[in-house]
Amino acid sequence: MVEMFKYALNLVLRRKLRTVLTSLGIMIAVMLMSFILFGMTDLKSALLSELTTRFKPQELYVSGQDSMSFGGMVNAPTKEGNKKEPKILTDDLKKQIEDIDGVISVEPLLIINGLELYLEGDDVPYPSKIVASSDLPGSNHMYKDFYGEKEILDDYDIFVSKFVVSFFETTNKDIMGKKILAKSTSSGMFFSSSSKSMIDKQYEFTIVGVVDTANDAFWINNNTALDILVDLGGYDSKQDYISTIGYSQLYVNTKEGMTKKVENYIDNDLDLFVISSDTILGFVDTLTAGLTLSLILFGSISALVASIGIINTMIMSIYEQTKEIGIIKAIGASNTQVLIIFLIQSALIGLFGGILGLSITFLIMKILDPFIVDALAKQGFLDISQFFHFQLGNALIIALSSILVGILAGIYPSMKAAKLDPVKALRYE
Amino acid sequence: MAYIEVKNLKRVYEMGKGLQVGALQGVNFNIKEGDFISVVGTSGSGKSTLLNILGGLDWGYTGKILIEGKDIKKYDPNYYRRYIVGTVFQQFYLIPSLSVEENILLPIKFQKRKDRDIEERLEYLIDMVGLNDRRKHLPKELSGGQAQRVAIARAMIDSPRIILADEPTGNLDSKTGMAILKLLEELNRVEKVTILLVTHDKEIAKFTKERITLVDGRNV
Repeated sequence: MVEMFKYALNLVLRRKLRTVLTSLGIMIAVMLMSFILFGMTDLKSALLSELTTRFKPQELYVSGQDSMSFGGMVNAPTKEGNKKEPKILTDDLKKQIEDIDGVISVEPLLIINGLELYLEGDDVPYPSKIVASSDLPGSNHMYKDFYGEKEILDDYDIFVSKFVVSFFETTNKDIMGKKILAKSTSSGMFFSSSSKSMIDKQYEFTIVGVVDTANDAFWINNNTALDILVDLGGYDSKQDYISTIGYSQLYVNTKEGMTKKVENYIDNDLDLFVISSDTILGFVDTLTAGLTLSLILFGSISALVASIGIINTMIMSIYEQTKEIGIIKAIGASNTQVLIIFLIQSALIGLFGGILGLSITFLIMKILDPFIVDALAKQGFLDISQFFHFQLGNALIIALSSILVGILAGIYPSMKAAKLDPVKALRYE
Repeated sequence: MAYIEVKNLKRVYEMGKGLQVGALQGVNFNIKEGDFISVVGTSGSGKSTLLNILGGLDWGYTGKILIEGKDIKKYDPNYYRRYIVGTVFQQFYLIPSLSVEENILLPIKFQKRKDRDIEERLEYLIDMVGLNDRRKHLPKELSGGQAQRVAIARAMIDSPRIILADEPTGNLDSKTGMAILKLLEELNRVEKVTILLVTHDKEIAKFTKERITLVDGRNV
């Protein structure tokens, strides 16, 4: 068998260029499969770990409209969603939710968009123009991590995210007590430049804590947020704003075992948009399953195309090696031995593609990993230090699969070669 | 008892549409062990068909071929081609990517049992065919005569009892051809191997002790 392997290897090495070109299909399939095995599993666990830290199973997020933000992820609009009329999250609705059996607390959240945010003494604004508000303490798990001595935001106090600290190239300790200046701009989503007075507004906040939130980088309390929203929008009072625009979201904490019931009530009876941790986990599942499925699909198509390539190459080889097959049969090679020699050749092409694919994947992983880790960190996944995990066991499975694809593709050509009549083969020109 | 007995050997080829061509139409001959015999005939006389059958490449014949009294159909075809006969072709049929040594050892690759004396046998044959200084060369670096010597050594590596040589000098000039014939004669004398030399050239046939002449698929 060793001798036949050497002979088959010799045959493959005789056609180096063709071997490389044929194995490219396998290489692409292997690369796609490798990305699933070495990256997707960790992506899913990273997403789940991040989201389950921020969202507990008893919590619900309620919105009057069909779009809610989860650290940058926004639900796509659905036809189902469109059936619901957008509603204003008024104090009345908040009260109705508080009265539902099983609800522990309802915390309103507000969003102010369109403010340019500067750190005191720095003339470069922070890239995001969004300020969020909540009355939750800094120790709440929504913030994931908290640095600071004052957990409750007083009026015109502000929590900033780690990203803000890093953007202004300072430290948690140094940023504490500094001011954040918020200036209204004409480029904000909610405000136009039609009113000059609107552009000139400016607010000042004192940093009292650093939290671990990504996109929502600035947090003030609801009272201050309402002050600003009333001021910017020209409303008569906070009450006027709430009854006209409403809260952005309501953060509902429920009793254990009652969450589903509360969710159904808010969804069906109050006709509001509600998202639970189940929805979020389902979203992650769908997202990762979708990505995995597409990679598997493309991988399988590549493997299929690669198989056809191998079949084609092997059939070409038979024509080229017809005389040689005749010779080795004439000097004593059996049909089975010819079959094995051809199967070894196609297995070698598969293995070569596998090794090539794994090597390139390994290289790409090494190059891309820091960028992916960085990109994930920007999305708030700060605990991921390495995205791709090259595992020898999985690499071995991939290499063996490549050999298997090679062997399967080689069966028909090998049988064809084995059945060649030695007399005709020797006469073949 | 004759070493090789060929009795009423016939080979008919189906050409389709009911057309049949009788390449061999009842060939009979006996060969003694250690003979050096030529099979002579013009093109289409059935020489190559006879050689393919004796070489174990074509089993679609009727009649009987006995070697030491045993019907060759009772042998495993691969065993027969490895150990009973060795074939030398007009076109040498060397593997271009293998060296002289590797070409000679090629039949060994298809054997299950490994002969411990194979290295010794290789040295002996390389020495006999006079290619000691060419052992690492590729076929393209050899002359026609040298390539045929490699083919002869390859046919002899498993020490078969019969060598079938199909126009072994056909692609060589007369001087080189003569050297090849002398090499075959030496093998016949030293190794006591029975040799059947197929040729269309009556001058070459004179080199052998006996001749079998084929005309239209029959020996005369």
